[in-house]
Amino acid sequence: MDLFSGLISGFQTTLQPINLLFCFAGVFIGTLIGVLPGIGPTGAISILLPLSFGISPTSAIILLAGIYYGSQYGGSTTSILVNIPGEPSSVITCLDGYQMARRGRAGPALGISAFGSFIGGTFSVIGLMFLVFPLAQAALKLGPPEFVSLICMGITLLIYMAHGSIIKAVIMALVGFILSTVGIDLVTGTPRFSFGSPALLDGIGIVPLGMGLFGISEVLTNIEQPEERVIFQTKVRNVLPNLQDWKRSIGPISRGSFLGFFLGVLPGGGAVISSFVSYAVEKRISKHPEAFGQGAIEGVAGPETANNAGAGGSFIPLFAFGLPSNAVLAVLMGALIIHGVTPGPTFMSEHAEIFWGVVASMYIGNCMLLLLNLPLIGIWVKLLKVPYRILMPLIVLFCVIGAYSLNTNVADVIIMVTFGLVGYMMRKFDYEGAPLIMAYVLGPMMESAFRQSLIMSDGRFSIFFERPISAVTLMISALLFVSSWFSYYRKAKRKISQ
Amino acid sequence: MKKYDIISTIFWFGLSIFVMAVSYKYGLGSFRTPGPGLMPFFVSLLLFIICCYLLLSLLLEKHRENEIVKEDHSQTHFWRIGVVLVALYTYALLLETIGYLVATFVLLIILFRMAGYKRWSGLLVSSTVIILITFFVFTYLGLRFPMGILKWR
Repeated sequence: MDLFSGLISGFQTTLQPINLLFCFAGVFIGTLIGVLPGIGPTGAISILLPLSFGISPTSAIILLAGIYYGSQYGGSTTSILVNIPGEPSSVITCLDGYQMARRGRAGPALGISAFGSFIGGTFSVIGLMFLVFPLAQAALKLGPPEFVSLICMGITLLIYMAHGSIIKAVIMALVGFILSTVGIDLVTGTPRFSFGSPALLDGIGIVPLGMGLFGISEVLTNIEQPEERVIFQTKVRNVLPNLQDWKRSIGPISRGSFLGFFLGVLPGGGAVISSFVSYAVEKRISKHPEAFGQGAIEGVAGPETANNAGAGGSFIPLFAFGLPSNAVLAVLMGALIIHGVTPGPTFMSEHAEIFWGVVASMYIGNCMLLLLNLPLIGIWVKLLKVPYRILMPLIVLFCVIGAYSLNTNVADVIIMVTFGLVGYMMRKFDYEGAPLIMAYVLGPMMESAFRQSLIMSDGRFSIFFERPISAVTLMISALLFVSSWFSYYRKAKRKISQ
Repeated sequence: MKKYDIISTIFWFGLSIFVMAVSYKYGLGSFRTPGPGLMPFFVSLLLFIICCYLLLSLLLEKHRENEIVKEDHSQTHFWRIGVVLVALYTYALLLETIGYLVATFVLLIILFRMAGYKRWSGLLVSSTVIILITFFVFTYLGLRFPMGILKWR
């Protein structure tokens, strides 16, 4: 199927009323969770995943993908109006967006952020369409050793970009791998770490794990110390940026689209890193770097474009290689597998309807998001005032129903609550959940490829270094790991000497 | 902070030893024919090595505890977390016995109270409305909730 006919068939799929409805529901929920600080797209997708079981895989993936890219739009609203990022990818928008709001320019800040997001999002879908096929062709030539190396690189990049301690991120990734081995070993049929519990024979489900780590733990953290949100009292008007705003923003939007997209394609990349790099680039090349942090519109336009372009770009490694590049897509991959669809090099040919349906839904979803975030911005501003004491019980209730609905078994609820407690403790001890969930999703693939590689090579580990792609990938991973380890070691040494 | 890091590292250290021991029992096989325990053993061995290194560097670090400003826990309500967790575990254990409607009603009241909702009238009304909406919507979507004590005989 060529690009044009594929896209036409995709639009035919997406324009069916039921898929349009799910597309709208996805971007609406995405904007909602983006606007409300707390539950991020990973938690929201985990919570809503059980709801998608009764619908077709195409509609389900359209809904879940919409939540992901929709959350990138909504995240900027809280950054600009409340100075609290709705999503990690909108952290950098706080710097200039909130300053613009304080100067009575909340409208143009929200407007340029919505337009930039639309342009970046649309650019990334076009890029996705053109890049995913050559990459999938290349992926077909890869064998198990290359997949082991690629997974290693993905995890290493995620660890490298971890917000906190590198060593804690490594520990989390290893714990994720261990958790992924729970259940029956697919090669020998031996039950592992189930300790006689029938609930653990199929392994720990991605839904209770994700809901617990990202949903319940968030609620527990908020109960412990309820935060009062202070909304900047300003009227949101003139959301359409003026000519001067456009002149200043067109460069950052163009650069943000390219940067965001290509950083999104990298394993371990995605919306967060794209927004930070875009801000750094804009500040570096600006004639007035001192204006950044004081309400420069370039500091809003660039990162908000880049995070949407990054979100779109990050679908490429998932579709082409079957490797998610961040925690959100790891959960989305889990959702695809639950629906009987395995992403990878043959995904586009075997499930052309789903692939093209999702691509077309991204075009339509981006248009819907522009409408939701410009004329209807007032609704989201009002939603910011919904107190957490009302939201929190609802989040827990949806988690409980979602976990129970998986197998109509309370064991899943118990697993979810337990991982909620684990996630809460992880937050307390400064451990991040992203490397854990990534390693958990990639674990079975890693184990199977690792064992296949050893069988292929008659037990020789040199197979990973004899094949050029695998060797180069492992070398990049090793360099990244050594550089991050070295910086950790230097810090530790400095502390010891003090 | 240093104390917390040592506690968490000891936990992972213990976990790595436990996983190594259990994986060994499953059978490591050989590199030619890897057994079911090889991968978890290998991963937990890595975890063990990292924990040893981290523990050692934390114990060698002398003055770090003095640099860290103590967190202010005066506004922290740890007891609420305990109540919510006990409520959720009890809910899971009793859900099939007493049924979705009753169990969720009690759970929601506890959750609303712990979240800081104070008005009893609003609390009872909103809990009832939420339960009824979720019950009918999810039943329509095909989910079978346990009826427990309200089961029609």
